[in-house]
Amino acid sequence: MIELQAAVSGALNGSLFALMALGLSLAWGFLKVINLAHFALILLSGYLTFELATATGLGPIATIVVTAPLMFVVGAVIQLGYERFDVSELNSLLISYGLLIITVQVVTNIWTADFLRLPPEINPFSAEAVGVGSLRFPVPTLLAAGFAVVLVVAASLVLGRTYAGKALQAFGQDREIASAFGIDHRLLGVLLAGAAGASAAIAGMLFPIGGTLTPDLPFEWIGQVFAIVILGGIGNVTGTLYAGLLVGAISGLVAVVWTPSTSPFVVFSLVVIALVFRPKGLFPQKGG
Amino acid sequence: MRHKGWLALVGIAVALVTLPAIRHATDFPMFYLIFLSGILFWTAQSTSWNILSGYSGYFSFGQGAFFGVGVYTMAVLFGRQGMSWWVAALAAGIASMLLGLAIGTIAFRLRSLRGEIFALLTLAVPFILASVARLSKAIDGGQGIVIPVPEAPSFLSQFQEFVFFVGGVVALLALTVAYVMQHTRYGWALFTIRDDEDVAEGLGVPTFFHKMIAIGVTGLIAGISGAVAALQLGFVSVEGTFNLDVPLFVIVMSVLGGRGHWAGPMVGAIYVYTLQNRLASGGFEGWSLIVLGVILVLVMLLAPQGLMAGFRRRPWLSAGVFVVVFLGLWLLGVTTDPVTSLAAALGVTAVIAFIPGGRRRPELGEPETGPPQEHHAPVGDEPVAESVGSGRPLLVAQDVVKTFGGVRALRGVSMTVHEGELVGLVGPNGSGKTTLVNLISGVFPPTAGTISLDGADIVGSRPHRIAHLGIARTYQIPRPFTSLTVRDNVAMAIMFGRDPLGLDASRRAAVEYLDLVGLGGRADALPGEINLHQRQLLEMARAIATRPSLLLLDEALAGLNPVEIDNAVDVVRRIRGSGVSIVLVEHLLRVVNQLATRIVVLDQGMELAEGEPAVVMRDPAVVKAYLGRQADAAGE
Repeated sequence: MIELQAAVSGALNGSLFALMALGLSLAWGFLKVINLAHFALILLSGYLTFELATATGLGPIATIVVTAPLMFVVGAVIQLGYERFDVSELNSLLISYGLLIITVQVVTNIWTADFLRLPPEINPFSAEAVGVGSLRFPVPTLLAAGFAVVLVVAASLVLGRTYAGKALQAFGQDREIASAFGIDHRLLGVLLAGAAGASAAIAGMLFPIGGTLTPDLPFEWIGQVFAIVILGGIGNVTGTLYAGLLVGAISGLVAVVWTPSTSPFVVFSLVVIALVFRPKGLFPQKGG
Repeated sequence: MRHKGWLALVGIAVALVTLPAIRHATDFPMFYLIFLSGILFWTAQSTSWNILSGYSGYFSFGQGAFFGVGVYTMAVLFGRQGMSWWVAALAAGIASMLLGLAIGTIAFRLRSLRGEIFALLTLAVPFILASVARLSKAIDGGQGIVIPVPEAPSFLSQFQEFVFFVGGVVALLALTVAYVMQHTRYGWALFTIRDDEDVAEGLGVPTFFHKMIAIGVTGLIAGISGAVAALQLGFVSVEGTFNLDVPLFVIVMSVLGGRGHWAGPMVGAIYVYTLQNRLASGGFEGWSLIVLGVILVLVMLLAPQGLMAGFRRRPWLSAGVFVVVFLGLWLLGVTTDPVTSLAAALGVTAVIAFIPGGRRRPELGEPETGPPQEHHAPVGDEPVAESVGSGRPLLVAQDVVKTFGGVRALRGVSMTVHEGELVGLVGPNGSGKTTLVNLISGVFPPTAGTISLDGADIVGSRPHRIAHLGIARTYQIPRPFTSLTVRDNVAMAIMFGRDPLGLDASRRAAVEYLDLVGLGGRADALPGEINLHQRQLLEMARAIATRPSLLLLDEALAGLNPVEIDNAVDVVRRIRGSGVSIVLVEHLLRVVNQLATRIVVLDQGMELAEGEPAVVMRDPAVVKAYLGRQADAAGE
């Protein structure tokens, strides 16, 4: 029974990682930008959530009203910069690495490197849990999973059903041809990057709800999030969610079957094996 | 001009040996020696990073992993086990090299997204290693390890002198390796990989081998340097070792200094280390990572060539300004601390480097001009008889099938090219012509069927093997190495071709091939500075410079105007005159009729017709399938 609990809890945790991976995957797949600054936006949103929630006394979820539009703008502006300087895929890695380092240090200078935790009177979810049969799930984890599923479904509907989504897909496959057919790639790219920024705001909000904040969190996330991006298939929205659930469940299981410390190795080894045999992801899309 | 580099290296070596003695004589403060030791350490680390990531373009965020393996090998073998320090240092280099080779074995074999996945993999590796070290009682166990002061050789009386000397030896090793690589095939292979890896492979560069050498050297140097750093630190911990400093610093140093030049990372190390030192002494520690991040972003966006490119444009001005500002501030007593003078001088010099203009210098090395000595190209004044396919079979492809997912691009094509032939391969768009070229040159293997050259099976061989067996190709859209001059593009093909020459000899021999295609006058231009026609001629020159027996021309005349086409036709004739058999993929039937001794027509992945041009062009099936409404075009 403990294994089942571990696997399901792990999968729910994994959905939060999938939420972080979503924006990266879309930017990489459609804009050809590997945007490490995405982690900077998540971190910044986490701290802003903390700051706004403690300052106003409103619940942490209400802070999205501020952080999501703000991160939309920040994400869009960064994308404008990439466009303006015609940054290549590999160079975007180095540049956004610089942006990430700057953000981490700025956050450290403002909020110090100590752990931050929302006080329980502001964060009503921290101690609550929901029981299903003999399984118990903390509310923050369920919230994270809920947001992840909603956003993934929304993103997949937008991509599959709307003109903008189809234009983006065309653009992701062949920039020049898509541009020749009159697709305004700049506007679409900026909108997509903005949306990715807003998703970063939501992911960032979930961290102070579920636990503590430190400035070096991004470096703990990077490995697992990119594993999910690649396993899910770059630009594949639903694949990202599946990969997040899978990686989360496996690492949860490994943690109870062996020891918690082995789970990073097992996950990492699985990713390497998957990379070698399925470099295009575990869930290939039609025609891709 | 070559000697400048060696002079610089010898100068550094002399300084290493004499500075401790000078310090004894003049009694200058030990602080400066420690300061220089810091620069030497970062020179070794950033040069190590640059050999892989700067030269080959495979960005690594994992320098901390190589460094950390070095640190902990020293800590365990010397600190805990009591081995001698220099044996431990060598072991550290080897351990770190093995880590590099292991990463390379996984990441460098991938078919797609190699660069991106390599970068992300290296991002994750240090964190994995950190948790191994933290958990394993045999390594660290979370407590940290104390490293005793090693017994220094007698001529280095103090510990700081010992650290300075040993660190200097490692830095010198790194710089020498980087310098030698930049001037030999080992570096040039990496430059071509950076510009276009698939093209490099197709020209005969064993890309996997060269990437493994690069990552092995990177690991080796970083490991030894990390081991020496561990000696200097005296105490190592997981948090102090696997943090962000090393990967961030080496990236910023190399990017700022210039990634295409062996001395770039050293220049960057001097700048960044001095800046860090001044920030720390001014009480701005909290800002140092922010400043580095800003430098990284700005240089990547605005001056990706780095400082070294600027200094090479204005060598005397830069050096002069540096010396005047540095000595002026120091000797006039404007600054009390020479490090502040140094920082100011570096800053002013950087401004000069980043002002555009000045003399343009090729990114890599200096072109050697001199009379051609070796006669490399078999440029035939000797006329080759226009015999029509009388030679023995050279290329034999049988029942070749290729499917992509559900799409059947080729469904059982057989084709033979005899020695001396010029076979025209024609067919409508999507008929499988380029797929066939890709299969023959080894870009991907056929789903079924056999392909052999001179009787030897080539299916499954890597493209560089196939190039060495004698097949060369051009690309429909020219893919020159954009950072190399026209001459060097051809020289690369000679260096890695079937009769490989050294760099200088290749550069001289390259002129013959450029003359053969009529590009001799543009040898020193960059590919971006010549027009489409000239780039297509460059494709041909580069292909024949590998000395192929069979040349695959993939729509080498696409997009040309009539005058250029006539010129290109002459060039193809001359190439064939030099004894090369040719497969010409072409849409222009006029050209095919003029040149081909035989025509193969593909349609929907199958061979539709084959034979002499005049006969094939009248075949009703060909007229219907391929020519359609423009049937009269055949009568041109």
